[in-house]
Amino acid sequence: GQTNLKSPQDLQVYVVNTNFTLRWNYTGNDTNVTFSAEYRFEDFTTDEMEWKELPGCQNVTHTECDFSSAITEYYDNHHVRIRAERREEVSPWSSIFEMTPYVIAQISPPGIELQSINGVIKIKVSPPEANQVQKMWIDDLSFKYNLVIWENSSNAEFRNQSIFPTDIIDDLAPDTTYCLKVQATYPSDSKEGLFSPIHCVKTTRKAVNVLFCATNVSVLALNMQFHLHWNNQYKQLVSYNVQYLIGYLKKLYDDYSVKWLSVPGCENITDTQCNFSSIITTTSGLFYLRVQAMSEYNKSCLSNEVKVDPLVTNEIGPPGLKVDISDVLLHIQISPPGGSENEVMRDHYDLSYRVLYWKNSSNNEEEIKMKEIKQTIGTISDLAPSTLYCVKVQAFSKAYNKSSHFSKEECVKTPGDKILPLIILATFVTALIAVLLVATPLVFVLYQAYNKIKYVFFPSCQPPLNIEGFGGQFFNSPYLSTTEEAIENCSIIEAIITEVNQIDFKDYKHSKQSSRDSGNYSNDDDTSGSKVSEETLEKEIV
Amino acid sequence: NTFGLIQIGLILLCTTTTSSFQCNHLPLQQRKVIENSLQLLDRMGKKFPQQCLREKKSFRFPEQVLKPRQKESVKIAIEEIFQHIFYIFSKNLTLAAWDGTALQQFQNGLYQQIERLEACVIKKQTHYFRSKEVNRLKLKKYFQKIDCFLKDKQHNLCSWEISRAEMRRCLQLIDKVIRKL
Repeated sequence: GQTNLKSPQDLQVYVVNTNFTLRWNYTGNDTNVTFSAEYRFEDFTTDEMEWKELPGCQNVTHTECDFSSAITEYYDNHHVRIRAERREEVSPWSSIFEMTPYVIAQISPPGIELQSINGVIKIKVSPPEANQVQKMWIDDLSFKYNLVIWENSSNAEFRNQSIFPTDIIDDLAPDTTYCLKVQATYPSDSKEGLFSPIHCVKTTRKAVNVLFCATNVSVLALNMQFHLHWNNQYKQLVSYNVQYLIGYLKKLYDDYSVKWLSVPGCENITDTQCNFSSIITTTSGLFYLRVQAMSEYNKSCLSNEVKVDPLVTNEIGPPGLKVDISDVLLHIQISPPGGSENEVMRDHYDLSYRVLYWKNSSNNEEEIKMKEIKQTIGTISDLAPSTLYCVKVQAFSKAYNKSSHFSKEECVKTPGDKILPLIILATFVTALIAVLLVATPLVFVLYQAYNKIKYVFFPSCQPPLNIEGFGGQFFNSPYLSTTEEAIENCSIIEAIITEVNQIDFKDYKHSKQSSRDSGNYSNDDDTSGSKVSEETLEKEIV
Repeated sequence: NTFGLIQIGLILLCTTTTSSFQCNHLPLQQRKVIENSLQLLDRMGKKFPQQCLREKKSFRFPEQVLKPRQKESVKIAIEEIFQHIFYIFSKNLTLAAWDGTALQQFQNGLYQQIERLEACVIKKQTHYFRSKEVNRLKLKKYFQKIDCFLKDKQHNLCSWEISRAEMRRCLQLIDKVIRKL
């Protein structure tokens, strides 16, 4: 081969499904030039890496060729090269183009079937390689279809929506033309396929008899008991039929509309609620539910569908709580939500429990402490004695980010300290003794002082009664100054006469002054006689 | 009607937000799905028929897919395996004559897990390790072999029983790996 011919450049492989197209550029003189390509792929079973002729790309005149028939191993790495030929001349081989078919392959547009009825659009999508024997996309169930829909008017909004192979596009305005296109995607491979051609369709008017349809269909589930609720504004008698569909059927390309089943116990009912726990036989698996309303004219209407993922839809109920106290340890016994026989929740939610406890004092709320435990029994130890504590517990699942309501509060008082009363008693007794020790001598001293004072001020001795005229002077204290008191001497004299032996003598002058008449004296002027008797008496006593 | 749309939108939003929280707890859910799936695989049919032993083929599951050091790659690989198994068991099973209820539950369980992951994958696309593509391609090749095998045998009983045994082995391998995660 000569080196006059230029080799082709900028090799590109364009793959849609299993259609392989090779393209290149040729910058040299392209008169009477043909191109031929070679390929090889890494097959680890044989260690061969030999170049083979690429069928479909031999002696081509244009700068592109189709080599789909050559490639069968879509997951293996392939090398492709090409050269130009003119009669006997051949150019050098181009640089090698390396590729893995699956990685560079694009997804072709899917097929679309549209049906406009009842104000909604029913769409049926067929997979890109439907009815092909040789497939690039073996797993057509993993396709996720992306729908783009817009109103056929100026400055209309584009709406993106993910749809199942068989789906219904509702929430559309009636009597309006809509245009749409669909692409198939492989999310796990980050592949977005080519869009289908645009299809336009006009929506019909909505059927009038939608008044009796069930609305606001919702699910309330507690502790794996599932209830469906709905409303109906229609006043007349309507009977309902609750139906369910096993989730994965929507992923298939078969028509699942015939695969809806009736929920046992919710057929032909008039109540606007249904317990469908019986169909939730396992937590693994999604379900769809809908309500079929039948009016008395035998007209039926289907409600919206609700998707139920058992563990996600279900709400965990509050657990039961029992508390027990011993010393300063608080024992908590939790009964799991749904009862101890309900193992489903414990198994699948991987439940943990959050315990809240606080001191219940009369003043404003104390700090609430929290403890997380995995088992149904636990203890709290950092407690103060003789305090009222309140506890409440909630179950939660970290995996599903769900928590239940709190249980009822249980309050219990910690017992008082046993040592404390003893300490108090000992302190009291000691204090008592100390007080007594101090108080007794004090009292004694005070008593003595009191006695002395009393003795000074109020002596308890009295003069004898038979001493006369010693007046009040005798009863004045010998230590204190006497006051000149006008004392009635008569009374003193009486005292002298009546109590003879006890009287001190005082100046008898006072007795002279006495004006009192005693019985022993007469009223005559002769008083000398009395004086004499007084004197003799005085002498005798002295 | 707009209110209904808002409701649906809210429900979808809630579903997506709750599932994004589940991303961290995927191993727990995956474990449950695998446990459940293994039980159902056993329940579906009877013991492996003797006459099918000679038709047994070695498919060589690429075990290195489950060995990489990055936990994320293993989690995503497991989800892909679920998708492939789901696809295989959606084919014509009339000749297999297995228990329909068990089969339905099996498929439904796999589908539920696949749906749950979709939210996670969309979020984690930026972290997707392209270098592990070789392993993913090997995985696809493995399942392609099984698919071709079933097609060649026209989905007869033996081909189904061999595939079922192979899937069982595959799930048990994943079970071992996931317990270590």
